[in-house]
Amino acid sequence: MGRIVFAAAMSHVLDPDYYGAHCGEHGRRTVETLMAGVRALGRRLEADPPDALVVVADDHLNVFAFNAVPAICVRIGRHVERMEQDDATAFDRLLDRLPRRYLLHEALGNRVLEEGLAAGFDLAMSWAAPLDHAFLSPVTTLLPDGPVPPLVPIFVNCVVAPQPTPRRCFAFGRHLASVIAKSPWRVALIATGGLSHFPELSFPRVGESDTVFDRRVLGWLEAGEHEPLCALSTAELDKSGEHELLNWMVALGAVSPASARRVFFGELGRINLAAVEWILP
Amino acid sequence: MSRYEVNSLLYRLKKDADFRARFTADPAAVLAAADLTDDERRALIDWDPRVINALGGYLHLLMSIPGLEGH
Repeated sequence: MGRIVFAAAMSHVLDPDYYGAHCGEHGRRTVETLMAGVRALGRRLEADPPDALVVVADDHLNVFAFNAVPAICVRIGRHVERMEQDDATAFDRLLDRLPRRYLLHEALGNRVLEEGLAAGFDLAMSWAAPLDHAFLSPVTTLLPDGPVPPLVPIFVNCVVAPQPTPRRCFAFGRHLASVIAKSPWRVALIATGGLSHFPELSFPRVGESDTVFDRRVLGWLEAGEHEPLCALSTAELDKSGEHELLNWMVALGAVSPASARRVFFGELGRINLAAVEWILP
Repeated sequence: MSRYEVNSLLYRLKKDADFRARFTADPAAVLAAADLTDDERRALIDWDPRVINALGGYLHLLMSIPGLEGH
């Protein structure tokens, strides 16, 4: 019988140069501390490698660009490439330093998809979607020296309104847990992004975060109080800049009722960086 | 506003280097056939990321178009 052997969530622009440029020396040092915490989590994965690593993250309008934007999409197939961006700038520059190709856990991805459709989740599927920093920056910070376990990338639409609700993402996480429990595999799971930044995805509000909201979220996670998180609306997430909490909600559903341990929380003004690990039975 | 048209243009500007070069050289000509409101056309020709964003252009695209990125 399969089980989730590791579950964590973390911010996903894990790059000292990016925060050095936008938040100064304090930004650089803060993200370096976060990365050290993520790296410490990764050492546990290295010591006891899982059969698969599920990564729940959002596309930043790099892949699903207005021809169709799926609420939740499972990346199936045998391999996945990192996104290619000529003259990459901002958060896209992280990708230039990363390996180009990653193995997928084809069988687990297929089960998540097929059993998901059977269970009433109208999931999208992709054989071709590449991965941007939201997936690969955390994975390569956890495991900088490899090997990276076979991945099951899952895209959640966090930024193109209307998004799926937190409660729906949590329910999909419950589905993930069910699929994994019925499988023969030991699975690690991470969700990425956040915490609050870019409220309302509005240029005049770049530079703002919502520390009160973030601390409330972390408090609920640490206390194992999941219903208040499920009850959040997408409008609340938009207003606070907490869009990417939807990714975390999938992981939360997968591990509920587990409580989380705070690995890191740091305020930068432009964003609040964070990482948590769930305490699994 | 023409949410699809504006964001499809932004996406193409990010992903298509040749299109980006033609746009940079002569934005009015590149946009001539695009289905845009007058305000959208003006904001794109003037390349004002804040106005484009206020008109519905997505922030992440506006922050990451090589050579045209806003901060």
